Amino acid sequence: MTPEEIQGIFFVECEESLAAAESGLAACKAGTQDADTVNAIFRAVHSIKGGAGAFGFEALQAFTHTFETLLSDVRECLVPITPTLVDLLLRALDVLADHVTVAREGGVAPEDASLIRELEGAMANAAPAHAAPVAEEPVATATYDEEDLTSDFDLDAMLNDLAGSPPLEELATAEALGWLIHVRPHAGAMRNGGEPLLLLRELVALGAVPAECDVSAVPSLDDFDPHQGYLGWTYSVPEDVSENAVRDIFDFVGDDCPIAIGPDAAIPPVQLDRPKAPPPPVAAPAPLSAVPAAPRPAAPAAAKPAAPEAPPPPAPEAASGSAPPAAPTPGQSIRIDLIKLDKLIDTVGELVIAQAMLAQRLQNENVQSSEELTLLESLTRDIQESAMSIRAQPIGSVFSRVPRILRELASSTGKHVNLQVFGETTELDKTVIERLGEPLTHLIRNAVDHGIETPEERLAKGKSAEGVLTLSAEHRSGRILIKIADDGAGINRARVFSKAVEKGLISPDAQMSKEEIDNLIFAAGFSTAATITNVSGRGVGMDVVRANVKDLGGRITIESEEGKGTTFTLTLPLTLAISDGMIVKVGDQTLVVPLTHVVESLRPEPKDVQGLGSNRQMLNVRGRFIPVVSVAAQVGASGAVTNPSQGVLIVVDTESAGQAALMVDNIFDQRQFVIKSLDTHYRSVDGVAGATILGDGRVALILNVDTLVASAIESGFGLQAA
Amino acid sequence: MRTITLPARCDRAATEALLPEFQAALGTGALSIDASATQQIGQPMLQLLISVRRTGEGATITPSPALREAARLTGLEVALFEGTMA
Repeated sequence: MTPEEIQGIFFVECEESLAAAESGLAACKAGTQDADTVNAIFRAVHSIKGGAGAFGFEALQAFTHTFETLLSDVRECLVPITPTLVDLLLRALDVLADHVTVAREGGVAPEDASLIRELEGAMANAAPAHAAPVAEEPVATATYDEEDLTSDFDLDAMLNDLAGSPPLEELATAEALGWLIHVRPHAGAMRNGGEPLLLLRELVALGAVPAECDVSAVPSLDDFDPHQGYLGWTYSVPEDVSENAVRDIFDFVGDDCPIAIGPDAAIPPVQLDRPKAPPPPVAAPAPLSAVPAAPRPAAPAAAKPAAPEAPPPPAPEAASGSAPPAAPTPGQSIRIDLIKLDKLIDTVGELVIAQAMLAQRLQNENVQSSEELTLLESLTRDIQESAMSIRAQPIGSVFSRVPRILRELASSTGKHVNLQVFGETTELDKTVIERLGEPLTHLIRNAVDHGIETPEERLAKGKSAEGVLTLSAEHRSGRILIKIADDGAGINRARVFSKAVEKGLISPDAQMSKEEIDNLIFAAGFSTAATITNVSGRGVGMDVVRANVKDLGGRITIESEEGKGTTFTLTLPLTLAISDGMIVKVGDQTLVVPLTHVVESLRPEPKDVQGLGSNRQMLNVRGRFIPVVSVAAQVGASGAVTNPSQGVLIVVDTESAGQAALMVDNIFDQRQFVIKSLDTHYRSVDGVAGATILGDGRVALILNVDTLVASAIESGFGLQAA
Repeated sequence: MRTITLPARCDRAATEALLPEFQAALGTGALSIDASATQQIGQPMLQLLISVRRTGEGATITPSPALREAARLTGLEVALFEGTMA
């Protein structure tokens, strides 16, 4: 693996760690945390810090260090969990996320000095530069004072230590303070900007005091190699500090900095690295020579071997590898290159086509049904589902970004919003997930900026001061429904209407239904924000949202009630590669109508269809009239039926024009089809969403129901006089 | 007495850079090390300072507060600052 690849893994793990910390803090905010919640947050920040150190991201490392120190105090219950603290930690997490982004993509590191001061101020031992990086006012960082030092350790003891073998009674004095930990950083701990003194500093921050520094291994100048670790330490740790808290400090460096704990243990032996250590994070090579440290009398094998047994893993792995067992253990997993996965999906798509072709061929040979064919069909479907499920991800990964958006909005608009999330484990295709982020962000900003009122307005209306934003996701008949609901003011239709008139989007005397007015907010260049804020109000939001959702093959609908709130519903396909559709015949053409649009299909009685003017027809569906659109006229097919009662009408839902009835000759199949882009193979064609290969090998066009119906209605239904 | 001045940032790179200078100064008598500007110090430099003090005729160090603090943190005050030690 190249260092770049390992760094890539580090960033992936950073994302995971950030998400873990975010959900942990969310639990703290909701008051549902337990001991392990804080532990999990600490581990997450700790592993980012470790990687940051290994890869030399100094700003990131310095910030995580302070963050982690505070978390450590929280974990030790030295600092109580209060709403103020959780708020501070959340803000720190946001800045941490920015730091990670800067480390990954470059740019200017976020301004964190004041936040670091705040974090330090919140620490249990709020000394001015308690956990500051080495450079800052180091004298103040010591957590023990001169008196401690002189009363518990006399200089003679130290002088003896320097000779290499301290008398046992001196150790006993140290022990009286608490317990002993022995540390020996090896060369690996100093590689890639690693600095063992930072670890020792953390140890001292816990209240530990140095009992012994073994300098016996330091060679004379002639043999000196700046890459080696020659020093070893024994620290005395106060009784009330837990062993785990100390182990956590050294967790990340693992075998590069072995520790031994217990009165009978000794400083781990010196382990010299190959001279001139090889470059970055490749696992440490086997030592050429192991020089045992001057063994202390009556010091048998370490009572508790501290170093993990595993071989030294590459830096980012170490954090997860040595995490305490209390961490939630996810199932085993491997990382796969997306390109490989896409290729698999492509091949499965071809398999679906080949299977359909085989079925068709057998049918032509009068083999109507065979057990093998049924088996093949079900296996193909299984393979397809498995392949899809590999790409599937819980939508929680998108939802998890929302709290941060809300926090930023709260600080910029003063509107505090209570977030409720349902169905975050609902899975959908990775491509859909990736492209969902932007429209969702827009909708949420919109809901807070336009929907939810200011606290004063809310109180005046008898609502709680805090708005409620509800996000939910669920599967419904092969699609996924995502709802973004706020309990705000709802759409002010009168204002939307007058704004649309003002913008010249509609005429002042237009008669419009509530839904039609609501849909105006999706028009390009439309915005009713009284003042342009940096949140929204530039009128580029909602039309972009609709375009994004449309690109995903989905639809967006609005339900709004004045004074009660607004709900945006996104209906999305589970995957973009394979879809269900109706294969229809229109004259000499075979076309596919995506099932996502279909409401019902029917063969109308002559009385159900009524003429409207010279060339328009309306279908009466249970008392409601919807326009009949002749597909043949739109796609230019010849020889199609022109009388609706001789053909079949497919009632479809569209985004811009409500429901319409597509007139086709007949429906002859409903099956899965693999979507082949027309844009990449030919060019974009209005009214056509793409193409697919049918079982008999012919190419069929997939209708873009939205644009087809919209253009038909514009041109007067496109129906020849019936 | 020859004086070698330590930079503000005494990390491993600084240690590597200064090692030849210290080696060249061997045999010219006791050294004086001016660390009064040192802001940041790491284990490699601490090791080098100890090695310098144990080699040849030893050395006296003029520490900055940062170096003093690092020495106290690591229990190395005696090894670094007491006497000239050779």
